[in-house]
Amino acid sequence: MIRLYNVTKIYSKNLKALNNINLNIKHGEFISIVGQSGTGKTTIVKTLIGEEKVDQGKIVIGGWDITNISQREIPVLRRQIGVIFQDFKLLNKKTLFENVAFAMQVCGGQARKIKKIVPHVMKIVGLESKMSRYPQEVSGGEQQRVAIARALVHRPKILLADEPTGNLDSLNANEVIELLLRINKFGTTVILVTHNREIVNRLKRRVLTIDDGYLISDQAVGKYIL
Amino acid sequence: MIVSFGRVIKFSIQDIYRNIWLSLVTIIILILALFTVNMLLVVKVVGDAAVGAIKDKIDVNLFLKNSAEEDEIDALRVKVSNLAEVKEVSYISKSEALESFKEKHRDNAEILEALRELGKNPLTPSLVIKPKDLEIFDDLINHLNTFDDEIIESRNFTNYKLLLTQINNITDKVTRAGYLLSGIFIFITILVVYNSVRVAIYTHRRQITIMRLVGASRWFIQMPYLLSGIIYALVSIIAIMFMFYPFLSLLQPYLETFFVGYNINLIEYYYGSILTIFGVQFLAAAVINMVAAYLAVRKYSRV
Ligand SMILES: Nc1ncnc2c1ncn2[C@@H]1O[C@H](COP(=O)(O)OP(=O)(O)OP(=O)(O)O)[C@@H](O)[C@H]1O
Ligand SMILES: [Mg+2]
Repeated sequence: MIRLYNVTKIYSKNLKALNNINLNIKHGEFISIVGQSGTGKTTIVKTLIGEEKVDQGKIVIGGWDITNISQREIPVLRRQIGVIFQDFKLLNKKTLFENVAFAMQVCGGQARKIKKIVPHVMKIVGLESKMSRYPQEVSGGEQQRVAIARALVHRPKILLADEPTGNLDSLNANEVIELLLRINKFGTTVILVTHNREIVNRLKRRVLTIDDGYLISDQAVGKYIL
Repeated sequence: MIVSFGRVIKFSIQDIYRNIWLSLVTIIILILALFTVNMLLVVKVVGDAAVGAIKDKIDVNLFLKNSAEEDEIDALRVKVSNLAEVKEVSYISKSEALESFKEKHRDNAEILEALRELGKNPLTPSLVIKPKDLEIFDDLINHLNTFDDEIIESRNFTNYKLLLTQINNITDKVTRAGYLLSGIFIFITILVVYNSVRVAIYTHRRQITIMRLVGASRWFIQMPYLLSGIIYALVSIIAIMFMFYPFLSLLQPYLETFFVGYNINLIEYYYGSILTIFGVQFLAAAVINMVAAYLAVRKYSRV
């Protein structure tokens, strides 16, 4: 599903954010990426969505070599990869429904289709009763779930979650992780970047550990080792 | 595609509305720029009219002696007609001169009274000469001055050329100042539109980030801002269309007193070809705004 071949990312002369990373993520995996701050985890996410170009190596996603992806093709890639972040990136002046619908509107989705799909994904994340609220009127965990719903509208094969629980208390964090597991069960490959030792250890899934731009460990049933 | 275009228009209007004050300033600057350009046009129209009016009136008179015989007059007339600089020559007899004099002063009782008291026709017959081209007006005068026929009593060579040169000088100067002013305003317009779009993008940077993240095409992200440029142009053109009419109405009476007897109608000129005049201006403004918006979008929309 996702393959990285000797990927190196150099931001500046003495800053190699990624160093010769090789990786093979299979379809339907739930994989955690851990590592200390500033070690290059977000950089991996960015290269996967075409936000940053790699300086050496090759990235192939679903058979598509995106190493030198053009500006014009990036939207096509992004519609196949859902992304969520620590700061939910919701629009505060839009309701939850509108926030999710927005993702479809700006991609040219038909109004009829939007009306059908938005309630559907909101149901998946368990927020169908709060669709007309504004982001400030719901909890952080709920906001993150809206972001997840938004990431799902294009039925992505891959969901990237860059520290999705970073701003949440453990109760809300657990709900979000549960949701990611459920989405994974439907067949979406999930990549979770996290600092949360407890979560990683409880998941008992594959764990990649990044340190200083190097992939230092890749365990099938991993633990948070740093 | 149609769905998207509708949304682009909606987004564009939202962008304008969210920064309504900045948008208003942008539109006001555009209106000022358009006003300057239109003033330039008015100056040109009035200048041309003035020159036309004078050219129409230009003629040279050779006043003849009362005693001149018909064949002498004919001979002189032929001689003058043969000059290369002459377009046409017409003979005004004594009585014709009187008729046109009376006609000209028909509202002036005093003059008519004085004329009647005089008892006889005090006017002289004359040859009225229309020059072919003002450029060779001097040559014509020089030639006419060499004729020293017995029957010529006096000559009236008003120097219209000087007058025309003066008018041309004035319109030239005003036009040049107008071009400069228009240039400055166009430059300011570009800066202001550029800045408005920049601010609009800045205001929406969060939204743009999200759009990029969820896979909106570049076209969809950038188009609303380019469209804003067109909307600014459209709004200001419509505004200037309504503002210019009262302005011209104010100007028209002055023009009419200035150009007595000569038909000059700015309102007719403007609103007779309203679509062409303002259409061209709209296109020009839209293109300028699009370029400015495009420059801003290219620089700032990669958030
Ligand atoms: N756009 C950039 N330009 C220059 N350097 C950058 C850029 N983005 C990230 N870096 C640097 O690259 C390194 C890796 O950054 P990255 O964001 O991938 O870390 P991270 O593992 O996600 O950290 P955190 O856990 O704090 O989010 C850091 O040293 C960071 O300062
Ligand atoms: Mg990070």
